[in-house]
Amino acid sequence: MAGGGAITTIDSGIIEYAIFIVLLPMLAFPIILFLGHIFNGNQTWVKSAKEGGLIALPIMVASFVLSLLLIVEFIGASQGEYSIGTWLSFGWIDANTMEIDDMAFGVGIYIDHVTVMLLFVASFLCMLINIFSIGYMNTDPINDNRNHRFYAEFVLFCSGMLGMVLADSFLWLFIFWELMGLCSYLLIGFYYEKPSAAYAAKKAFLTTRIGDVFLVIGLVMLWNLFGSLDYDVVFYEGNIAKVDPGELQLALGMMFIGAVGKSAQFPLHVWLPDAMEGPTPVSALIHAATMVNAGLYLVARMFPFFANGDMAGELVDLAFIIAAIGGITAVMAAAIAFVQDDLKKVLAYSTMSQLAYIFTGLGAALWLANTPGKEKYAIVAFGAALFHLFNHAMAKGMLFMASGSVIHEMHHAHHDTHHHDDHGDDHHDDHHDDFDAQSMSNMGGLASKMPITATAMLVGSASIMGLPFIGGFWSKEGIIANAWRVALEDPRFFFPAACVLLGAAMTGFYMSRMWLKTFAGKPKTEVAEHVHEQTPWIPIPLVVLTFVSLSSVILAGMMFTHWSSDTGYAFFSDKNLIDGMIYEFEHVFLNPDAFFFVLTYVAIFIGAIVGPGLAMALYGGSLKEGEKAKPWMQPIVNLSSRVNKKRGFDNSAWANSGLSDALRERLYFDKWYDAAMLKLVVGFANISAAFDRNVVDGTIKTIESTSQKISTQVRRLTTGSARDYIMMAALGVLVIYLLLGVMI
Amino acid sequence: MLVIVPILASILLLLMTSRLNPEAREKFGAPTRMAAFIISLAMFGVTTMMFLGQIGDVGWNNIEFNNFEFKESYVWIEQLGITWTVGVDGLSFPMVWLTTLLMPITIIATWNEKAGATYFPLMLMLGGALIGVFVALDMFMFYVFWELTLIPMFFMILKWGGKDRKYAAQKFFIYTFTASVIMLLGLLTMYFLMDTQTFSMQEMVVQASGANANGVWLGLEVQKVLFIMLMLGFLVKLPAAPFHTWLPDAHVQAPTGGSMMLAGVMLKMGAYGMFRLPISLFPHALETFQYAIMMIGLVSLVWGAIVCLGQTNLKKMVAYSSVSHMGVILLGIASMQPLGWAAALFMMFAHGIISPMLFAVCGAFKHHYHSMEIGAMRGMAKHSPWLATSMMFGWMASLGLPLLAGFVAELMLMIAYWDAYGWLIIFPGLVLAITAAYYLWSMQRTIFEGGEATQPPESLHGDPVPDIDNSEKVAMLLLAAFTILFGVMPWIFLDMMDMWTQSAMKFLFRLGGV
Repeated sequence: MAGGGAITTIDSGIIEYAIFIVLLPMLAFPIILFLGHIFNGNQTWVKSAKEGGLIALPIMVASFVLSLLLIVEFIGASQGEYSIGTWLSFGWIDANTMEIDDMAFGVGIYIDHVTVMLLFVASFLCMLINIFSIGYMNTDPINDNRNHRFYAEFVLFCSGMLGMVLADSFLWLFIFWELMGLCSYLLIGFYYEKPSAAYAAKKAFLTTRIGDVFLVIGLVMLWNLFGSLDYDVVFYEGNIAKVDPGELQLALGMMFIGAVGKSAQFPLHVWLPDAMEGPTPVSALIHAATMVNAGLYLVARMFPFFANGDMAGELVDLAFIIAAIGGITAVMAAAIAFVQDDLKKVLAYSTMSQLAYIFTGLGAALWLANTPGKEKYAIVAFGAALFHLFNHAMAKGMLFMASGSVIHEMHHAHHDTHHHDDHGDDHHDDHHDDFDAQSMSNMGGLASKMPITATAMLVGSASIMGLPFIGGFWSKEGIIANAWRVALEDPRFFFPAACVLLGAAMTGFYMSRMWLKTFAGKPKTEVAEHVHEQTPWIPIPLVVLTFVSLSSVILAGMMFTHWSSDTGYAFFSDKNLIDGMIYEFEHVFLNPDAFFFVLTYVAIFIGAIVGPGLAMALYGGSLKEGEKAKPWMQPIVNLSSRVNKKRGFDNSAWANSGLSDALRERLYFDKWYDAAMLKLVVGFANISAAFDRNVVDGTIKTIESTSQKISTQVRRLTTGSARDYIMMAALGVLVIYLLLGVMI
Repeated sequence: MLVIVPILASILLLLMTSRLNPEAREKFGAPTRMAAFIISLAMFGVTTMMFLGQIGDVGWNNIEFNNFEFKESYVWIEQLGITWTVGVDGLSFPMVWLTTLLMPITIIATWNEKAGATYFPLMLMLGGALIGVFVALDMFMFYVFWELTLIPMFFMILKWGGKDRKYAAQKFFIYTFTASVIMLLGLLTMYFLMDTQTFSMQEMVVQASGANANGVWLGLEVQKVLFIMLMLGFLVKLPAAPFHTWLPDAHVQAPTGGSMMLAGVMLKMGAYGMFRLPISLFPHALETFQYAIMMIGLVSLVWGAIVCLGQTNLKKMVAYSSVSHMGVILLGIASMQPLGWAAALFMMFAHGIISPMLFAVCGAFKHHYHSMEIGAMRGMAKHSPWLATSMMFGWMASLGLPLLAGFVAELMLMIAYWDAYGWLIIFPGLVLAITAAYYLWSMQRTIFEGGEATQPPESLHGDPVPDIDNSEKVAMLLLAAFTILFGVMPWIFLDMMDMWTQSAMKFLFRLGGV
């Protein structure tokens, strides 16, 4: 079923150079590694090249600029493909004609609205987090002389992410997908000497590998249906029409399991919190802003199958499963985030929960696309999910960098106070004592000491929570509204729809809790009193991303949710910016449909008032006497302090309950999985190994020793050496041969 | 030429050194090593130039089934019709090239081994015999070289092996020799049953296909018996479960160079033989036993992987992983798709590059830490970064990371397998996960952990922890470079393999198309 035609082939323009977006970082990988190996410890290398950081940065800037040029050419309406060549060609017996056909896997670049959006997210964040890394990694003595490894793996990862986004077939998507997995593994295990990091790296790779196995099976099934994995062929309407819907749904379902693993969704979510063992820039880039989006990207790529007229109504079950997995994860991860004390772990569970939102949004969009007459809503729902992906990536990247900034300064402050106590101590010591720079119990009251970080954290949290007008608000409203829109039609969707609504309140609670515990109240330790911002590399990306998050209203006004999902939608042609913003405000706050009108205000109420209110009551507090935060944060601190005084309550009963323990134990998933792996699988393997040694090999040994005995008895003359056996064998051959000769 | 020169040279070197006393023989180690290295390098140069077109001008991607290039034929034993006939095609050339590639690399990797004067000549003899197997077009000649490969390997294990080398060498020899005797029986029976008796493989294929066109050559029952006899010899060599137990013993006891050649090329003799003889001659029997071959392959694949997970010895684990990977070849054959056969051929080739790297790593581990136990050494990334990097690269290549050679074969196999056997694909899928599990787990316990607090293993007796030396580094880098090369550009050899499989299928099963 070869032969495509869904996509315009483009032979010229900036797309010819698009391959360099991927190749540049990929080539930088060996270069940085090699230079780092040679110049390790050299002062010029450390100071001027930042141990590779300043080699990686221009590369990432170049990739970003190229990406921008590409985006400008393709944003909005156009989509296209640029074929580079054939990678594999092979023969295939057509079962109907019994003839051998020539088949091939190609290589190429494919661009459409989804690509454009993810390309921007990936290249932009890679560049910003590279800047951040220079500030974060190169000032910590624990990283001395191994930062080149960090930057090499960092650029290789960027190459994988950008490659996955630009690939023109599911095969190359998968290839780059695995490349990212490798880099994730290497970077989680960056501090290889720590057993916890080694364990976390293995866990991450293995858990995602289980998903990948299903992804491979799904791809194989898809290939079998279409005879190709190129988007050009599989998205072609004529080809989709010829495929059996049941088989297609199965293939896509298998691929979805791969997405579940990569995007850390229930039940393959266990690796993401442990992945925080990696350096913070890695958490920010890979485990929050880019790689974990790969699963979402894969599901988003399935849109054309659902939107095909011939598939109408046939794939809704899969759409429901996608939404339901999202719903379960959204609530579960948010609940576990309630009890986390580690700053990065809260963010990890928050990432999980927000990705689950996007899955629910995509599920709803796919359901709408697969239902005749709902195409109009499908576009908006799909756009909302993608928009949330964008907002979340920006906000979460920023939150992780801000958390990194806090942890970094906590470390430094700890180091300094340590020095005040006993002079002349080797500074390596502070990595071995039990002070936890990531624990929120050691922080508090940092709002006045780290104004830029606190602001970034505030805006990022607000964006994740969906506080009106900021960042994620616009997209989260869209996801909740569309989930409910589907629920009104298909009662099964009440489950994910209720989950995302409940999740909004939970997000409000745990994000506020995190900010308040870190930045409001009095400093809880001496270390927290001595914290201050110092290196210039860290705040730059924070400030940039703060503005991006704040300005997402402009993107909303640019009808992001429409053009990001509808290739036919001409960019800017429909409405100008002001009209667009007015339309968006009307649409959200004054929805003509009574149900959605009420729903919006319920969501805002629980997400922006109930959740944060509870968090303020429990964790609010004013700063230390005489200290003041910036004017935009001081009212929030004051409010939290007032709520805490008036409405504060004792939650120790809840905190000591069994449910709370279960949440601290991450609902026992990790324990069970570890037990299953170690007891069942490894146990079985050990038994198998013993069986192989004793029974399979034992049989042979018995035959051997018996024949040896016989031979020594029959022919007592020889010594029992190898010659003996050869003679035996030759004799045996003769006998068997004679027997055969008689028989035939 | 490629066959004769190394064997003659090795015999010459062996003769020269055999008359020396032990001390002089020690001194003679370096010159024989250099001689062996130069000869093997020259052979690599010749095959590479053959491929690139400097020697002969062959359209490699257009060689059809049963056509051969660089064909030479001389009468050997006239009375019996035995000839010295050699030639290469899309099936054998990648293997020949691989052998010539691995010989110099193996010599480099074991450059500093204190091996005396006979080790490297034996290596040369092994290489020559292996090439002989791959290029032989005469059945008799094929069998002679098939058995000849055993001799240098037997002595390599016996003389330079580990603690139980005597047992392992005998087991290796008897096991595979018995199997090849059964194969010989099959070959001879076939010879006597033929209408026009010939030892020429090319003519046999013509004769068989002519008879198969209007019926079944020799009758289906005979075909089945012969097919089983021939396959038995090749299955033991591959090795496939349940005949695999000689492999771990042989590998664990064999010296590094021996292991590298054993895993890299010798195992592939089995797969090569299957394609060259039973499959090319008995397509009907192949169709009959298709399912059985698949089951043997599946059992090897799954069983090998599970047993790997239960190993505590690094080299044994890698040896069992070979069993597992060789199962893929049988699955490819059983898929009965050109794609599956090409996957099998590419698996032979890819595994031929990757597994020597795995064994080189194991050898270096043993060499430097005097231990093979997983967990004897932790935090290798700190103490021996080069070895740790090589190990991680090899492990990752072996578990099928994309853009490295192994992935191409696995991907192709999965596609062909799903088409033929549907949901049984869950087992190869499972193996993908188990493979990742045992490799990652072993890395967690060797490369990672420990850090500054790591104590060197007890087997070092307090000596400082060494990293690999320069010759080992060069060998690892070369193998890694070729793994990447064939992972990124698989078409270099895949295209000719594809041509061979497509034309073979058309020829054997009378299919149309293209």
